Amino acid sequence: MTEFKMFEGCTIANRIPFIEASTRLVFEKLGIETSEAPFTCCPDPTGFKSFDDDGWLAIGARNLCLAEEESKDIISLCNGCTNTLRGVQHQLEHDSIKKNHVNEELSKIGKEYNGSIDVRHFVDVLKKDIGLDKIKSAISNSLDGLKVACHPGCHYMRPHEWMETDDDPMRPTTLKELAAVTGATVVDYEEEELCCGSAVSNAYEKVGLQNLKRKLDSVKKAGADVIIVNCPACFQQFDTQQRMLKREFDEDYDIPVLYLTELYAIAMGADPKDIGLRYHRQRIRDIPQLGV
Amino acid sequence: MVMDFEFRKQVMDYHQGSDVIKYCYQCSRCTDNCPVSYVTDDLYQYEYNPRANILAALLGHKESIFSADPIAIWGCTVCDTCDEVCPQNIELTEIFTFLKNQSIENGEGPDFIYQQARAIFDYGKAIPSQSGVERRRESMGLPEIMKPDVDEFQSMLKNMGIDGKLKEEGD
Ligand code: SF4
Ligand code: SF4
Repeated sequence: MTEFKMFEGCTIANRIPFIEASTRLVFEKLGIETSEAPFTCCPDPTGFKSFDDDGWLAIGARNLCLAEEESKDIISLCNGCTNTLRGVQHQLEHDSIKKNHVNEELSKIGKEYNGSIDVRHFVDVLKKDIGLDKIKSAISNSLDGLKVACHPGCHYMRPHEWMETDDDPMRPTTLKELAAVTGATVVDYEEEELCCGSAVSNAYEKVGLQNLKRKLDSVKKAGADVIIVNCPACFQQFDTQQRMLKREFDEDYDIPVLYLTELYAIAMGADPKDIGLRYHRQRIRDIPQLGV
Repeated sequence: MVMDFEFRKQVMDYHQGSDVIKYCYQCSRCTDNCPVSYVTDDLYQYEYNPRANILAALLGHKESIFSADPIAIWGCTVCDTCDEVCPQNIELTEIFTFLKNQSIENGEGPDFIYQQARAIFDYGKAIPSQSGVERRRESMGLPEIMKPDVDEFQSMLKNMGIDGKLKEEGD
């Protein structure tokens, strides 16, 4: 398989690097090769884009130039980064005025955007390039009996014109299929496609908590042991905000969150210690399938 | 209500080659599916309401948009659900991006947005690296993060006048 440029993103790299540890372990087991590049922030499609849309385009395009210089596709570990980089590609491809404007700015720093590489979410690479069969054959420790609720998150699949996943943008199934190969039982819940609320929480905390309550009430009702995610913003929202829900609504959820790659690492026989499961805020305990 | 025709034109032009926003027939499917609208009812006297934002933008009611509490614009959690469910294929979030950018020009955005933009400008990263996290990366056998060329990056942002929109701490 060809080598990708790794786009781990600010949150994973500089706040929750244990996610990257499990990802690299899983990539190695499955033969996904990566290398580094001096990327900046993608930048955040829910933050910086709202600050300055032209700047969002230019910064995104500059990152794409760095991968183009090496003729390598990008693999992203984050919904937000994938959304920005694919969104920038989409807009520049369909809007020649924007593209000329961005290239004018880039030319002043000696760069040019061509649109010659692809940006892939790691979930998409797992599903399409590796495939369920190959992943299954790498599973040595079946998670039989573990009940998981999947949360793919908004920007993995929306807007569909940018993201071009195989999933229905309102009824995604890929993450469920990927989680099920570990032997875990995927439970359906009513608010599956509801946003985690990370972006609104940054500005209006109470609104974010009210939304999160709606989400987690539904997960709890379904009887899930853990929530599975593929985005660091969703991860943080679920992992750090449950204690705020306790304060706000006196409601105990106590539902741990696992990145898909953490679930995989354990199912592929990794020691929970080596992938830093202890760094989760929402404690993972008394779950025999996870070795804790 | 005053109609600001210049503002209205900016809204219409926001998407090159597409004027679909004028086909909004106020069906409210966006608001009915908006997670923030769903919860703001109970918490505030007013709702966060994407349908109303589209109408106000379309009619050029600039003043009513920007004189309201900023949550009227910034309550959006950018889940892109409205874009998907709108029967007229209006990219609502692109219009909302325009409104938020305008709000930033007016210096009225939420603190978080300014803080993040400041971090990105200063370090090239929304979350700059910290020695504690670097040590943890090392202890887990993770490679060092390659440093971006911040000088080059900043010169691009300065050329675009983006530094002028930043706020200093405590502004
Ligand atoms: S869903 Fe579309 S057409 Fe309906 S009110 Fe919202 S923007 Fe208008
Ligand atoms: S993108 Fe914003 S306005 Fe649209 S549904 Fe989501 S929160 Fe509501």
